[in-house]
Amino acid sequence: MKKKLTALLLACFMLATLAACGGTSETESPAPAESGSPEESGSPAEVIEITIPSYKTGENVGAVFFEPQVERFNELYEGQYHITLESVPQDGFNDRLKQLAQQDMLPVLVQGGDVDWMANIAFPNGMAYDLSTWLDETPAVKDLLIDDGLAYCTNEDGTIYSLPLATVRPTGFFYNSALWNPSEDLSALSMDEFIELIDGQQIAFSTAENGWVAALFLTALIAAEDGGVEWLQSGVEAKITDFNNDIFINAVTKLQSLLQNNAASNSIGAAYADAANAFMSNQASIISNGPWMSADFAETNSANWSNGFNGADVRASLFPGQVGIATTSCFGEWWISASASEEEIELALAFLEFVYSPAELEAYLLAEGGDAPKLDYSEEFQAQQGETQVLADLAADTTEDTVFVPCILDMIPASVANSDFGRLLPSLADGTYSPAEFAEWMTDAAVAATAE
Amino acid sequence: MNAIRRRWALRPRAGRLERANYKWIYLFLLPTVIIFVLFYAVPIVQVFVTSFTRWDGFTSPEFNGLRNYINMFTNSAFLQALKNLFFWCLVAAVLHVGFGTLVAFVLFHKPRGWKLTRAVFMIPNVISAAAWAMIYRFIFNNDFGVLNTVIRFFDPDFNVQWFYQSPWAFWAVTLTWLFYAVIVTLIVLGDLMNIPMELGEAAKLDGATGWQFIRHIQLPLCRGAIGTSVICSLTARIAMYEQISLTTAGGPGNDTMSLSILLVNGILDYRYGYANAVGVVMFLIGLVILFVVNRLFRMDETDY
Repeated sequence: MKKKLTALLLACFMLATLAACGGTSETESPAPAESGSPEESGSPAEVIEITIPSYKTGENVGAVFFEPQVERFNELYEGQYHITLESVPQDGFNDRLKQLAQQDMLPVLVQGGDVDWMANIAFPNGMAYDLSTWLDETPAVKDLLIDDGLAYCTNEDGTIYSLPLATVRPTGFFYNSALWNPSEDLSALSMDEFIELIDGQQIAFSTAENGWVAALFLTALIAAEDGGVEWLQSGVEAKITDFNNDIFINAVTKLQSLLQNNAASNSIGAAYADAANAFMSNQASIISNGPWMSADFAETNSANWSNGFNGADVRASLFPGQVGIATTSCFGEWWISASASEEEIELALAFLEFVYSPAELEAYLLAEGGDAPKLDYSEEFQAQQGETQVLADLAADTTEDTVFVPCILDMIPASVANSDFGRLLPSLADGTYSPAEFAEWMTDAAVAATAE
Repeated sequence: MNAIRRRWALRPRAGRLERANYKWIYLFLLPTVIIFVLFYAVPIVQVFVTSFTRWDGFTSPEFNGLRNYINMFTNSAFLQALKNLFFWCLVAAVLHVGFGTLVAFVLFHKPRGWKLTRAVFMIPNVISAAAWAMIYRFIFNNDFGVLNTVIRFFDPDFNVQWFYQSPWAFWAVTLTWLFYAVIVTLIVLGDLMNIPMELGEAAKLDGATGWQFIRHIQLPLCRGAIGTSVICSLTARIAMYEQISLTTAGGPGNDTMSLSILLVNGILDYRYGYANAVGVVMFLIGLVILFVVNRLFRMDETDY
């Protein structure tokens, strides 16, 4: 009898343990960090506090500006609002957001995310707060928004979920003037003239991961083809799935030639870090990348230089044909979760207004480069902008005649951009695939990726 | 009908004590059954059901019949992934398990330094597959990798991008796991140690040579362990992801494409139905392997 009683108690205990593990009791679940209320955080009752998962933290290049920016916000609103950053690696950031969304635990302020996911899943399913009313009531912000971006982010019913961009950061390329110092205005050249000019120069390419650096160059080559700009822009509405055309094949032919004749020795199988390393060790004189790379050329980053490389020698230019790679018809960096409380939304809107204030926009442009087309720059800003050579170069190249084109990787299905493109590049470089075969592979991969 | 009744009649009736224990047996089994249903059965059924749907992972799945499977079997990358899996399974069953078994037999004889060898052989197994993949990217690097540096001592013009050139990429990826067979070694070594000493002594008395002892006594008695190792090794090949994703991502072309890469790509494109169809194929291949290896190694038969 005693044995049976013990056995019964043991079985009940196991069942109870199991039930406890699988339980969804709200009272027992720890409150999500993203929605921490003042009481939960232990702060004074009047302080509204939230946590934002962000990849712009720690060693990430974006942290140099973003972390102090959040600190400035916290200081400005001390005793009223407080934002804490949760560090998430950039590689897994979009997946983290999707996981949080599936658990209905999106942070109050959401920093971007996978564009396809935002457009097709998050926004249509009511996960985002409508910013249109707030924008109408806040002309200081709305007046700064880029028109294309505002049009793109405004839905047919007038709702705006993603706060459109106020800045554009056209991507061009950097060159090491100690190794190659052309006298020409490079962005004013045609692509063919430019290719002739760089004969004998080593270009840093990345062909692993998503082939980012090679993709930038390919985008510029496509834009230089007749109808190339329109072809790239056609991907804004619907992802490009057909690459079997002269525009793409001609551009790939030129890319193949550059990969075979001008690529730095470590380019095949090179990740972005390898390409950057080739440039910052004098093994390549040219690298394509966005203005945010200017931080790598500052004296404070000299520990990463080698082989006599000096960041002060680096100059920048937009691509030939005055092509700058930038998407203005796109979602902005921030949106707000629809499940946030009124207080949290109040904080989030205050943060967005802060980020879009002229002083913060100018600070951002000074740190990471770019242009705010609808902002009247202060004299102080204009004086400071010239101090960083590469940013001054890009600013000088960005004129009314600049042709903005979206990066090819943003215009093709996600799996093709993240996996197939980089996977096929080495075979293009070693001649296993001809440009036409490369185009066929890309088409097959894109069609398979979008098959219903 | 009568035959059935007769068979029931012939079945030994459970004793009173045994019947009284049934409720306790079921009660103790209950937590396991609940865990199995919640964490195995339900997800597997979900994967099967949603593989016949168009599903973005957020909205409700829409039934689309066999469309995912048709897309899959008409995709050249999928067919290449199946082909690669077949060859990897072959290499795993013969070379990987063979090597692990060989090491087990060597260690069983406890040669000088066997404990150190066992420990050293164990070390790679505690390093994650992802870390190994990164290490191999350096080993196989054309510019400064150890392999090409050594080869260039003999052939200064040697240049091979192991992970990025056909047909080397397949073998480069294979080498990232081929010789890490410590699990096989431990399983086989355990079985070897369980073989009764008397069998060895009897064989010696009958004049069996060392090889004959291995061939006719030890190997047959270890077949269960070897079969288990083959199952572990082959199912690991089906699920293999990090080694490929972090080195070749399935390239060059589709040379190293795998089902797991296709599954993840499906998720990247919000085609959860398609990804689950790939998952179903992986599951079925696993079942087939389990069945075939079980039969081949007669794993349900006991030896002692």
